[in-house]
Amino acid sequence: MDRKLDDIFNECYERIRSGDSLESCLRSYPQYRAQLEPLLRTTFDIGRRVSYIQPRPEFKHWAQVRIESAQRYPRQETRAETPAASTWWRPAWAIALSVILVLLLTTGSTMAASSQALPTEPLYPVKLATEQVRVALAVSDTQKAQVETELANIRAAELEAMANAGKTDEATKAVDRYNDQFQKAVAAIITAGGTEPQPPVYIPPTETIPPVVTTPPPVVAPPAITTASENTTPPVVTTPPVVTAPPAITTASENTTPPVVTTPPVVTAPPAITTTSENTTPPVVTTPPVVTTTSENTTPPTTTEQQPTTTTTPDKSKATKADNMIKSLKNSTSKSITALNDAKEKASKDDKRDWQNAIDKISKKSQAKSSTTKDTTSQSDNVTSNQENSGAGVTSQTTVQSDNNTAPSPASPSRNKPSSSNRRGTSR
Amino acid sequence: MLSEEYLVQQAVNGNQAAFTQLYNQNFDRIHRYIYIKVRDRAEAEDLTQDVFIRALESIGSYKWRDLPFAAWLFKIAHNRVIDHVRKQSKEKRAPLEEAYAKSVEDPIQMTERDYEVYQLKVALEQLPEAQRDVATLRFIGQLSIAEAARTLGKSEGTVKALQFNATASLRKALHGKLDG
Repeated sequence: MDRKLDDIFNECYERIRSGDSLESCLRSYPQYRAQLEPLLRTTFDIGRRVSYIQPRPEFKHWAQVRIESAQRYPRQETRAETPAASTWWRPAWAIALSVILVLLLTTGSTMAASSQALPTEPLYPVKLATEQVRVALAVSDTQKAQVETELANIRAAELEAMANAGKTDEATKAVDRYNDQFQKAVAAIITAGGTEPQPPVYIPPTETIPPVVTTPPPVVAPPAITTASENTTPPVVTTPPVVTAPPAITTASENTTPPVVTTPPVVTAPPAITTTSENTTPPVVTTPPVVTTTSENTTPPTTTEQQPTTTTTPDKSKATKADNMIKSLKNSTSKSITALNDAKEKASKDDKRDWQNAIDKISKKSQAKSSTTKDTTSQSDNVTSNQENSGAGVTSQTTVQSDNNTAPSPASPSRNKPSSSNRRGTSR
Repeated sequence: MLSEEYLVQQAVNGNQAAFTQLYNQNFDRIHRYIYIKVRDRAEAEDLTQDVFIRALESIGSYKWRDLPFAAWLFKIAHNRVIDHVRKQSKEKRAPLEEAYAKSVEDPIQMTERDYEVYQLKVALEQLPEAQRDVATLRFIGQLSIAEAARTLGKSEGTVKALQFNATASLRKALHGKLDG
């Protein structure tokens, strides 16, 4: 019965909608009149209320305008039909726009001006922002590492500028920035396939720990190669456990050095440094320092150079790139420290502490992640000696040392490098 | 006058005038349908526009299946309203009456007509969902039983029953308010 009433109610409702009267419908079903009438009247009531709902004329107008404009630009249609395509071209556009933006920035005058901006200048934030774009646009790990390394060098240059200007506070901030960037660069280099540069730098105990005996440690590591070249030295070496990390080649070359080192205590430090640096930089880099020491020792330079090549990792180009980046990081560190040292020397007694703090900071953070930070001066020396090896050293102290070391073979490239560094050191 | 099927075919083939005609035929009722289901005018306007933009975007894939074009539009509208309500419920949507009491549209300031519409909204909101859907499509969207049934994916018999019960409930709700 209910079912029937549904149907009847629906029939009446449709009839009324199409123009029939309520009364005529009720007459058709007199037995349901009592139930149907109030419900049908309710539908009238609803209809009346609904008729009050009218879109605002201005809304109707703008909605129409929008639809018409959407019709004129059918791109929206295709976008809706192919959602995959729409999601595809959006990032493409974003990349294109950002590239254009970067091009504009890098070629624009603002950009040019900001690229030279120092931390104290108003355009400095622009410079930092642009650098972030550069990092973001670096696609491969190697590119990223290169950019991060370049940025570290830029931070170092800023630090130098602040130090040269004698601005203690700014220099301290610059040290922080440099340290941060240094860490980023190191991380990027490692991801790009390079080895961590820091460990090597620390190892060498320098002036503070000048013991003649200490030098042998480097020899310790002597993997296969070392033993082959100089069996005589090994006995001394046994003591130092530190050597564990160093790759076979580096240690080997240093094995040769120990004898020479023993005589001049000062000289001892540099070799140690070189070895460490070599540890980090597997192939090419390591060789130069080795050569210097080896030349003095009886062992011929050729043998030492061969060793590196044999040990080199499969991806040579990657390793060399990483080496170069590490080298430049070391250079920038040593330059920064030199600048800070210079500033410290020039500074008044009170300010000297601040400068020393800055030096400590940079030494601790950028040179060594490990807590093994030692006397800052010794560290800086280490760094510079490394630089000398790579041909970019500065400090006068180290140059002297290296000279002592490099007495022998004139043909070796490492020899030439120290001399150039000497020049720089003296000029400073 | 052109048949709806012809218009739809034209619109599917990219005839802008045909689509505009379909738009004009259905705009008001789609707006009413949405307006009665959402909180306020602004929401209703946004959603109404959205429905037609979506319809325009996907008209190319529309296939005529002896179902009025309006049924397709109501389906889009129905889905859009559901999405909208879901979003709102995530934002802890208050009951309609409460929302109206708090809204700018203070019942005291409303015109008599607005107030009657408001009563209808509240009455509809109190219905069970299935009844509300049928009542909205039938009394506000003006779809036939067959169209409503296809739009909601229910049998005509079920829709008729739901319609009958919904009307009875609405009568109670509206009369109670009117009498009181």
